[in-house]
Formats: sequence, structure tokens, C-alpha cells
Amino acid sequence: MENIALLSDTRVTLGGRTVLDHLDLTLTPGDCVGVAGPNGSGKTTLVRTLATLQTISAGQARVLGSDPGDRRLTAVRRQIGLIGHQPSLIPELTLGENLHHLARLGGLGSDRVDNALDVVGLADAADRRAEACSFGMKRRVEIAHVLLIRPRLLLLDEAASGLDEAARELVAAMLRSVRERGGAAVMVSHDRSHLATHCDALFALRSGRLEPVS
Amino acid sequence: MIFWRQALEIARVDLMVERRAGETLRIVLPFSVVALMVFPLALDLHLGLVSAVGVGVFWALGILFGMQVALRQSASDTPERRDLHVLAGVEPAARFTGRTLSGGILMTAYLGLMLLVMAILFDPDVPAGGWGVLVVSTILVAVGLTELGTLAGEVTTGLRNRTALASLIVAPLALPLVIGASQSVEALERETGILPWILLLIAGDLALAVAGVALARPLEEAR
Amino acid sequence: MTRVRVLMSLAAVAVLIGLWFALTAPPDALQGEYARLLGIHPPSMWLAFLAFGVTALGSIMWLIKKTDRWDQLASASAEIGVIFTAIGLFTGMVWGQAVWGTPWDWQDPRLMSTAVMFFVYLAYIALRNAIEDPTVRARRSAILGAIAVVQVPLVYFSVNLFRTLHQTQSIRPDGSTMPDEMLTAMLVNLVAFTILFVALLAARLDVAKVEAEARPAAPLAGDAVRPPRLSEVEDV
Repeated sequence: MENIALLSDTRVTLGGRTVLDHLDLTLTPGDCVGVAGPNGSGKTTLVRTLATLQTISAGQARVLGSDPGDRRLTAVRRQIGLIGHQPSLIPELTLGENLHHLARLGGLGSDRVDNALDVVGLADAADRRAEACSFGMKRRVEIAHVLLIRPRLLLLDEAASGLDEAARELVAAMLRSVRERGGAAVMVSHDRSHLATHCDALFALRSGRLEPVS
Repeated sequence: MIFWRQALEIARVDLMVERRAGETLRIVLPFSVVALMVFPLALDLHLGLVSAVGVGVFWALGILFGMQVALRQSASDTPERRDLHVLAGVEPAARFTGRTLSGGILMTAYLGLMLLVMAILFDPDVPAGGWGVLVVSTILVAVGLTELGTLAGEVTTGLRNRTALASLIVAPLALPLVIGASQSVEALERETGILPWILLLIAGDLALAVAGVALARPLEEAR
Repeated sequence: MTRVRVLMSLAAVAVLIGLWFALTAPPDALQGEYARLLGIHPPSMWLAFLAFGVTALGSIMWLIKKTDRWDQLASASAEIGVIFTAIGLFTGMVWGQAVWGTPWDWQDPRLMSTAVMFFVYLAYIALRNAIEDPTVRARRSAILGAIAVVQVPLVYFSVNLFRTLHQTQSIRPDGSTMPDEMLTAMLVNLVAFTILFVALLAARLDVAKVEAEARPAAPLAGDAVRPPRLSEVEDV
């Protein structure tokens, strides 16, 4: 069974500071791993490293069979779903236009966009400009984008914070869907109880490394 | 084909955003027109002198304010949006091409309108055939200035003093464009042939296009 | 450090020799004593071009190799290039005032494009100063350094392209227009300034190396954040 991701003795340095150091993490199909840690501990850097958006300074990092140092990672990256700290929508476009834009860029079926918006409960709000929508609504669009991608690796960086109960259940459903299709997920959050609800394994990020938490 | 699909999609959305945000035509252009009017007043120019300096003033203000068009807010991406573009497999060169396409259209519209306003306000002394040369050189300057602005915007993305620093980078590098454009009209007056200046502008635009495409990937990694 | 001392000593001797040649060459019939500035002005400008060329080389090599030394080379050379451009502009203005009757000719494209080159590299230095992360700084300034070098041939060839008061190139394939003594003074100073450039570059690279070594070992970012003292919240 091929690993979804493998970080071995990984070091990541940013701005002259070591953020991740001697970090080990193995993700196999079906895994859902939670990572908790204080502010500034490197949780977002870990997420970006797994998303192949951050180069490593030492050690090994293989994601979906590819070395993130490879020049051409397009095929690998298109199998990664990422919901980051802050929403990434273009404020002047409507929710529907934002999703159509992302779908066109990624070569995803534009015909599936309207259905995805309906599934996340935004069919009636599709014509609202993103700048006029709440944080939770923008998050739902990002969830819809992930549903369109059908990723093998799902990365959630504080994805559930600021969401109502229904949207949190949507996140949970998204996680289940990824795992059932043989993918894996990493959730990063300050909220340990939320992580404990959804994740098989829980780690704390301390001094640049992952330490298991019972 | 994927390259052009992505580039055209980025250009399309850029223009859509600009149409709704209105930064270029509703803010920068009126500001530029005010500047056009300030010039003769500040220098206490006589009518004859106003006509003589009109084209030069157009190029000066066109370049300076054109930089603001190239560096407009709507053309910049948040880090999160850039990450999504990378994950979607958007080629860095496609991003640059798309941004240049949309920026070039906006810049041409902006400079074209400025040229029209200058023509009305300054009634410039333009030799026979000069308006045709002005239009051609306006388009070529628009392309070059957009390419420079896109590159400078990428190099300064995420920095606190981005607008000022990017303007500092673009301004001196844009002067050859001004020289080429102004000399093309002068050459008409001197009857020395405009072709070298037009070719200079074309060569500059092509060189910047090649540089932008070649440096697109390192620029993306430079965050 | 020994290498730098040797180079600096050589440079000092070479510059003094160049100065001697410039001061002992007979005055020009037209330019008078101000012709001696031709012993400084053209060599300064040639070396500005060289420095910015080295910056471009360092920039392109960094983009390929990603090693710190190329970034340090590009940065050090840009700083020296800015200094030589300033010297060239200043001496040119002094000469222009004496010979043309004006320190600055707005219609002279080579003067203008030299000033432009000066500002381009000031922007390069400003960009470097604005970025803290060394890798991001190296990459972005490498990109700007590679693009900015386009200015150098533009400055040089502009004198052939435009009508100008400025002299055309003094040294051309068909021979020189300068008197022999002044030509000798200029060439000697060209060599002297080249040695000076190499010495300054070596010194600046040594400083950069020391700065890099003096940087503390990268501390762990997260260790700077401590758990809050919850029991003392109400006492704030």
C-alpha cells in the first residue's frame, strides 16, 4: 500500500528560523491525523510542506509518490485539497463565479459546480459577491471546491473554526468521503476536542517535531 | 492548450474584477486628468507652449500614472489564492501571460483615453501622420509598461511598501519606453524615419515578454 | 583578510599611478585642465557597467545554482556599481559645466539613461533592504538583477542612436580621437579602477561572509511562544 505522504527527519527553515526539525510523519490511505500546537509552532508550515508549497531544507518529503523538490508537480498537486487559515476567494466575484473560476483553472468539470454549491447549501447565495458574505459562507465555497477536486490528500488548517454546526458537519462529511475513497487527511487546529472527534491519531507540534498525544 | 486556457481565464477574471472595482477608469484616470490640468497651471504656460509640450506631458504622466494601473490592487493575489493557483496546476508563465493580457488591455484603454483628453486640452503640435504614430506607440508602451508592472508587482508581492518600491523599480526601467515613443514622433518632424523607434519599442516589449515567461517560475518560488 | 589587504594595496598604488598620469598629461586645447577628468569619468562609467554586469551574472548564477556566494557577489557588485555610477555622474557634471557650460543636458539621452541606471540599482538595493528572509531576498533580487542589466547596453549604445552633445565613444575600431597622453591616462586609470573594483568586491564579499557566519544558529521558531500564566490573568 503506497503511502499518501511520508516526511522523514524533515527540516523546514523560514526566514532564517527553523520551523520544523527532525519531523517524522507517515500517512497511509484512510488515515486522519490531527495536529495541535500553540501559536507559532509551525502548524501552517507543516500543512504547506505536505501541500508541496514549501520546500524542505533537510530530510525527506514524499507526497503522493512525488518528491516536492521535483520541478513538475502538477499531477500530484491536483490531488491535494487545501483549506487554509484565511478564505481565498476573490472579493469582487460572486460565490458562484469564484467556484467556476477555480474549477476552470484546475480543469475540473464546470458542470459540477452548481451541484457542488447546492450540496454545501449555497445554491441560493451563489449570486452574492464574496465581499458581502460571511466567513462561514466563504468557507463553504472552499469546501465545495475540495468536493470538486476529490483529493487523495486533504489538508485542513483551522478549517472548522468560525463555522456553524451545519458547516462543521459538512467538514466531517468531507473527511469521511476522502477517507472512504482511500485518501488521507491532516487537520491542524488549536481545538483538541474537535481534532479528537474526527482523527484517529493526535499529535502535538512541539519544538518542530510531532509528539503523539494520547 | 492548457496554458492558454489558464492564461485566458486569469485575464478574463482580472478584467471582470477591474470592471467591478473600477480602480483604473474610475480612480486612476480622473486623477491623471487632474494632473494633466495641473501641469500648465503650475508652469504658467502660454497657449503656444501648451501645444508644444502636450505630447511630452502625456508620456510623462502616462508612464507615472500608468504604473498605478499596472500595480493596481485588483491585480494582486493573496497568499492563499496563490497557493490555490499552484495546487490547481496553474503554470507560472500562464499567470504572467494572463496578467499581462488583462493589464495590457486596461493600460491601452487608460493611455488611449489619456491621449484623447490631452488632445482636447492641449491641442498639441503634431506633424502629419503623427497621430497614427502616437496611437501605435501608445499601444506598444502600454504592453511594455504592463509587463514591467507585472514583473515588479511579483517581485515586491507581500512587502509592506510594495506600491512605492514597485514604482521605484518600474519608473527608471520604463524610461527607454518613453524615449522610444517620444523619439518616434520627433523622427516624423525631423523626417529621419520612425521605424527604428517603433522597432525599439517592439524589441523592448518582446524582451520583457521573454523575461517574464522565463522568470515566471522563479518568481512564483520567490514568496 | 590578507588577500584583501594585498588587493587594496595594489589598488592604492594603481590609483596613485593613474592619478599621476592624469595630472601630468598636457591640458587639452579645447577642454583645458578639465580634460584630466577624462581620466576618471570614462573609467568610472566603464566599471559601473562591469559591476552591473557582474550583478547580472551573480543573479543568473544564483537562479541556477542557488548558492549564497552568488547572491553575495551580485549584491556586493551592485553596491560598488552604484558608487561608481555616482562618481561618473558627478565628474561628468563637473566636466559638463566647464566644457558645455551646463552640468546637465536634458536632451542628452546618455546622461539620462546613466541616471536611470543609477536609480534602477538603487531600487535593487532598496528591494534587498525590504526583505528579511534571505532566500526570498536572494531570489527576488536575482530576478531584478537579471532584468536590470538590460540598461547597460542601452546606455552604451544610446550615444549612437540619438543626436547628442555628448562625445561618441572615444575608442572605436578605427582608432581613437583623443591625444595620446590623455588616452594613456584614461587606459591606465581604467586598469587602476578595475583593480580597485576587484579589491572592493573582495572586501565586501569578506564582510558578507563574516556577517553570514556571525548569524546565530537558526533557533526554533515555536520556542519563542510560552504557555500563558492563566492563574495570573486577573492580576493584570
